[in-house]
Amino acid sequence: MDTTHQPAPPASAPAPAPGRWAAVQPWVTLLARLALAGVLGYAAYTKLPPALSVQSVEAYQLFSPELAQLIGYTLPLFEFALALLLLIGLATRYVGAVTGLLMVVFIAGIVSAWARGLAIDCGCFGTGGQVAPGETQYGLDIARDLGFLALAGITMLWPRSPLSLDRLFGLYR
Amino acid sequence: MGKAAREASRERLRQERQKAEERAKRTKVLAVVGAALAVVIVVVGGGYLVLSQQRAEEQEFANRYGSLPEQRVQQDGSVVLAEDGADAPVVEVYADYQCPHCKQFELTSGPTLQRLAAEGEVIVHYRPVSIFAQQPAPIGANSLRGAAAARAAADYGKFVQYNDLLFEHQPAEGAEGYSTEQLKEWGTEAGIDDPAFAERVDAESEVVDTFTGGYLDDLTAAAEKELGADRIQEMGLSGLIDWGQENGVDGSFLEGTYVREAIDSTSAVEERYPSGANAFGGTPAVYVNGTLLGNEAYSGNGIQEAVEQAGPGEVDTEPLSADGAAADASPQPDASP
Repeated sequence: MDTTHQPAPPASAPAPAPGRWAAVQPWVTLLARLALAGVLGYAAYTKLPPALSVQSVEAYQLFSPELAQLIGYTLPLFEFALALLLLIGLATRYVGAVTGLLMVVFIAGIVSAWARGLAIDCGCFGTGGQVAPGETQYGLDIARDLGFLALAGITMLWPRSPLSLDRLFGLYR
Repeated sequence: MGKAAREASRERLRQERQKAEERAKRTKVLAVVGAALAVVIVVVGGGYLVLSQQRAEEQEFANRYGSLPEQRVQQDGSVVLAEDGADAPVVEVYADYQCPHCKQFELTSGPTLQRLAAEGEVIVHYRPVSIFAQQPAPIGANSLRGAAAARAAADYGKFVQYNDLLFEHQPAEGAEGYSTEQLKEWGTEAGIDDPAFAERVDAESEVVDTFTGGYLDDLTAAAEKELGADRIQEMGLSGLIDWGQENGVDGSFLEGTYVREAIDSTSAVEERYPSGANAFGGTPAVYVNGTLLGNEAYSGNGIQEAVEQAGPGEVDTEPLSADGAAADASPQPDASP
């Protein structure tokens, strides 16, 4: 019995709100999980081939060429791995946390590019690199990543969801 | 006493059960997190290995031709790869792009020949042919499409690269392959960015379609009606096409095409090496200064030894001059390799 997430036992509590949330929450988490999996999977797919991804990383001018190369190669793979884990619902809480952390890192990267006056595409999906100074859309990128961060937060705080391997292993029932 | 003791022990049991449950849950969480970690490691690690290997191969492919000497297209559509003014044995390579043994030859000995040519130790004379031109579909069409596309690539000084790409992707015998889409893609891969190459590939593929889609059957039927089997054999496909032109089988669509050039090259080698120990009997045929090599051709060492033992030779064709190509409207390569 997961007592931490059901502070009010539905049987004894007449208040309807927690009960309704308890009923709806697994489906909300499922949606968040699948949406994030879709976003990450798509992001990983559009970053390939890795040469393009390396370009996107280099555009941030934060890393040495070797490090940019390594990140460019592994980041799409890491995103893909996270997407896979979210899809099958394995270690949902922790994968959600890591995904959220990744979004924070992305946002920090965009903020830093913005603050340094770089004119780049964030490279979040597909090809990044230089763009014309008027064509940056850092605000939009950050807002979007904040949305993803919220989804990651939901999966982290309420990992209970149907159609997950966690449930099969007896976690977050 | 009894009741209090019972209650205390029940409480203890409850606590122990709870503790056991917590422990079990912690184990489960650890197991699940461990499994997730394993997934990440496999996906990222495995993917990284695959990607970096791909990259290494691409790099190698890009560098492989860096030291290659100039490739000169000859008047008959063949290609000579040699250092400027090289005084070395001539190795003629006759190959059909649909022939599996030619692929084997190219894989085992091709790189050695390229290296020897770069060192000025050999003059490589690539002479693609189409011995399979009259084979039923899709073999004949694959063979002709491949040969014509390779000839088109030669116009851009990229024959050697393209030749390698064709053999690397050779369709299995009897399978449809060398599609126009692929042929164009490999052009890009070989470093040809002129859209005229793609146009040429399309045009030649249409010629192949016309050739295999009716023309060849008509020609064969007409010839069998009026000529004996021996005579047909003797004429070769080139002679047969010329004969058809005068006997009501219109082959004018072949005029000036690289498809026709490949067919003519095939008939020409049969005339060049008609009989004896050096008779041309199929592909691949590798000649060092006019002498046919045996199985030693199928290893880098074997071919190197054969070359080292031979004296300097002469190429028996003339280079195609820039204006000689004008009839085909194919520009000379504008970029050095």
